[in-house]
Amino acid sequence: MEKAAKPWRYDNRIPSQPDYCANVISLILEQLEKSSWSNKDTFGIHMAMEEAIMNAIHHGNHCAPDKDVHVLVELFDDRFYSKITDQGCGFDPDALPDPTAEENLEKDCGRGVMLIMNFVDVVVYNAKGNSIEITKRRSDVPSNNHVEADR
Amino acid sequence: MDDFECIELDNINKVFVVKFKDHKVMDPARIETMGKELMSLLAGNDSERMLINFDNVSFFSSAAINKLIVLEKRIRSQGGQIRLSNLRPEVRDLFSYTNLDSMFQIKDEQEEALASFEKK
Repeated sequence: MEKAAKPWRYDNRIPSQPDYCANVISLILEQLEKSSWSNKDTFGIHMAMEEAIMNAIHHGNHCAPDKDVHVLVELFDDRFYSKITDQGCGFDPDALPDPTAEENLEKDCGRGVMLIMNFVDVVVYNAKGNSIEITKRRSDVPSNNHVEADR
Repeated sequence: MDDFECIELDNINKVFVVKFKDHKVMDPARIETMGKELMSLLAGNDSERMLINFDNVSFFSSAAINKLIVLEKRIRSQGGQIRLSNLRPEVRDLFSYTNLDSMFQIKDEQEEALASFEKK
């Protein structure tokens, strides 16, 4: 049986500053391009990672200089996986107001989380609500070749 | 007419036609600047008509969307109109997933968007 290729891996703690988010995103986009991921998949991963890391920096850690964000990324042949954890007190994603409701359209609350859920395949929060796991399957890989992505 | 840092501005038939200079509208500091530049176009109390052409845009963060929402609210309160055009499918998805396509009139092409403004 052919051995699966080792995934590209990024595992780092970044300070709670937006510039560091941009650096991580650049590295991820570079790897996706090297691996010839489609523009559509790349856009979805970019959107989800941008929103998840910025949420962790702003809403989780409140940009506190003594708090960091743990970003783990694994890029497999057929899927993208990431786990992002902040040092905040967490939140309940189910308690967010519906950002698509007419009365909430003008509010800046819950839109980022909704975008993450729409642009990737699997989103899992831990019980505390300070850690999010994201999985996006590569769309140009036949579905029967996908490894079970729900880890 | 173009002395802005983040937007390019044109005026066609009394409509402000705006394009973004950034291919990826995601840098928080530049989004702040972009928001201020857009709002500066509404400095008077006139009911302005504005078209935002996304021709050059491959990525648009939710922070940038928030600036457009504030802009739309201001334009609407002044009796003006706003249209969006030339969105790539992925960027268009941003607006449909969040139901913001009920707030913004989105057209495929600039000409179509220009023609859709109601006369003052």
